[in-house]
Amino acid sequence: MTKQGRESRMVEAGNQKNVLHLPALEIRQGPNRRLYTFAVDGKQVPSFAAVSRVRRDSQQQLHGYQRPEVLAHVAAIRRYVESAESPMLPNAIVVAFDDRVRFVPADAAVVGPGYVRSGTLLVPVSDDWEDADKPGFIVDGQQRCAAIRDAGVEAFPICVTAFITADQADHRSQFILVNSTKPLPKGLIHELLPAASGPLPNQLRVRQLPATVLERLNFDERSPLRHMIQTPTNPAGVIKDNSMLRMLENSISDGVLYRFRGSDSALPNIGLMVTVLNDFWTAVRDVFGEDAWGKPPRKSRLMHGAGIISMGYLMDAIADTNGSGEDVPDTQGFAAGLKIVKDYCRWTEGTWDLGDGIPRRWNDIQNTPRDIQRITDFLVSTYSSKQGKRHDRSSRLF
Amino acid sequence: MKFFFPDSQDQVDPTFDFLTEERDPFRVRQRDDLYAHEVLKPPPFNGLLVSKAIVDGTAGSSTGKYTGPQRHRLYRQGARQFFRLNNGSTPLKIMGDCGAFSYVGEENPPYSVEEVVSFYEGCGFDYGISVDHVIFQYEPKIVHTDDAAAEWVRRQEITLDLASDFWRRCSASDVHFIPLGVAQGWSPESYAHAVKELQRIGYRRIALGGMVPLKTNEILACLQRIDDVRESDTELHLLGISRCEQIRTFADHGVTSFDSTSPFRQAFKDDRDNYYAPDRTYVALRVPQVDGNAKLKARIRSGEIGQGQAMLLERSALARLRQFDKDEVGVDAALEALAEYSAVWDRKADRTSQYRDTLESRPWRACDCTICASVGIEVIIFRGAERNKRRGFHNLHVFGQRVRRQLGEDDRD
Ligand SMILES: [Zn+2]
Repeated sequence: MTKQGRESRMVEAGNQKNVLHLPALEIRQGPNRRLYTFAVDGKQVPSFAAVSRVRRDSQQQLHGYQRPEVLAHVAAIRRYVESAESPMLPNAIVVAFDDRVRFVPADAAVVGPGYVRSGTLLVPVSDDWEDADKPGFIVDGQQRCAAIRDAGVEAFPICVTAFITADQADHRSQFILVNSTKPLPKGLIHELLPAASGPLPNQLRVRQLPATVLERLNFDERSPLRHMIQTPTNPAGVIKDNSMLRMLENSISDGVLYRFRGSDSALPNIGLMVTVLNDFWTAVRDVFGEDAWGKPPRKSRLMHGAGIISMGYLMDAIADTNGSGEDVPDTQGFAAGLKIVKDYCRWTEGTWDLGDGIPRRWNDIQNTPRDIQRITDFLVSTYSSKQGKRHDRSSRLF
Repeated sequence: MKFFFPDSQDQVDPTFDFLTEERDPFRVRQRDDLYAHEVLKPPPFNGLLVSKAIVDGTAGSSTGKYTGPQRHRLYRQGARQFFRLNNGSTPLKIMGDCGAFSYVGEENPPYSVEEVVSFYEGCGFDYGISVDHVIFQYEPKIVHTDDAAAEWVRRQEITLDLASDFWRRCSASDVHFIPLGVAQGWSPESYAHAVKELQRIGYRRIALGGMVPLKTNEILACLQRIDDVRESDTELHLLGISRCEQIRTFADHGVTSFDSTSPFRQAFKDDRDNYYAPDRTYVALRVPQVDGNAKLKARIRSGEIGQGQAMLLERSALARLRQFDKDEVGVDAALEALAEYSAVWDRKADRTSQYRDTLESRPWRACDCTICASVGIEVIIFRGAERNKRRGFHNLHVFGQRVRRQLGEDDRD
């Protein structure tokens, strides 16, 4: 049965059918395309528009075009819509209507550009319709629509851009067009994060702290790492932003920086984090000197992922052997710890003796998890054994 | 009798909200989470068993469950602080082993004795088990000279050689943990041989390995044969065994400790015995997340089932169960909602009569553990790690009670 046929039967069966009268603008785009733009309560969208799920019928014919909702994404938008901080969804959702939807131009001739006129869009709605009966399909914005549908708010008006066509292939190509753009590069997102305010997806909120600390290290005047971290706005930096972020995240979750991450009521103490990091990296610069410092990774592995990340672990180790809480080593304290391992390091020349009987030339060390772990284990265990630390235990048992 | 619980990073997140299924995004794994011994009173076990394979992984395998930063913090701070062993109402002990099951398929154990000693010493363990190689088979009639036993004999010899080296290094380097030797065997006779050899090396604490697949009477046969060679001051540890009914008998044969994950794992691995009560078990009520069940997800992606429809059934199943717990609806309404949802994700199994049993008995109301008291019916819903692990913790609580009852110990705090 055709869609139209089914609809008329439903009307005959006496179903209450209403028509939404929506103030709209009609925009002529090229000779054969008319777009409509209007506002509607997002809670009403499901009464006239469906999501066209991709599937194949028993003859293997393709129907629809959308994937299922990404529930985590929907939940994140829903939380945002429910948040008290005046949420805003500025992007219009895109709806394709069939020809049961009509545009009625306003009577009065409005003086304006010839490609736009105002009027009313008449959209039939019913709460009884199955998805296939609805006159509209959501081409873009299904996650936003689902979030508003689920949100615990009375109403949430949104902008809609619509076009009228009965052609499914047209829907499909519009869907492909709006969804095939490239996401933002990670580096740019991280650089924008510190100065972003308002609600962000949780995953990015968690990244905001390390990104903020990284920004301070890269641009504060007193930072030993000033202008040394490579970001979109600082392309000449020698240290990859990723390596530095990883080092920071490791220490924030399990190392010395965790002490300053704040708790339920207290915000992270970014100032103290930056002080600790400035002291530590100043000590690294002083101990390893010009040879290894500030050079590109191909000349110095200290500036390489393996060097930055393993040094971060060493920072945590030195800090933990020198007290707890706010009792953190200063530059001299860190330098004393670094001197213990200095002679075993081969950042710019020579061959590492990692104790496993396999010599590794300095420039064979790669920025891989395996090599990072090797160098880290070696540095930390060398530091601990030379430093002679043992865990507190009541007595020798054996 | 001491019960050790093998750690596999099993904690619960106290910020988890059962209604919204959200957690504090700034929660730091493990640090902000809680171990069973921090949640339950008294702690359901006497100590943790921590495997090197879980902490460090083995080369080329993914058994490691620790992130790099966590692993380094364990070494820096030591096990007592990392596992917060003093946070419960009674301090716990900590035992280390290699995690031999993770490398059972290898020719030789992947760890050197030196590495293992420094693992135990570096983390500050109370007990350390020597490096071993598991023998899986149990063939009481096959003697060690039989060709069929060649591989088992080889593994037993590796294990004994490593135990001897382990003993030597522990003595020489003045370690702070108590060393245990491992006896591996395939028959009562061969286990007795291993125990004899280990005692000759000097061990007075011996762990019996490879007994997980054995029937209770087979374990008893081994213990009886071991009695013939066991010195009066030798203490035995059963690796991976939790036959609660036999605990007194085991004790009569010199067993002073054992470890097992099964009370915990049954909560979400077993087909039916998911929730422990003092004298029986119950099946948990399965309400998987729409986007957490692989089969259902595939059917939604292909367009066979509507995602909205599945979500509606899922939510209504959860809602009915909660209403049931508040006595707002009867058993049949709850069962019907469970059945309607099961029909879309699991068309094979009909668990209605088991579910009825669980619901009508309401065992979570009778339980005195902090989990059941605080989350009610959520504990028995089979869904996601936060509920499933809490049910696992509850099971450990009941298991701890059973053990103490078997031993005739006073069960009050
Ligand atoms: Zn309980």
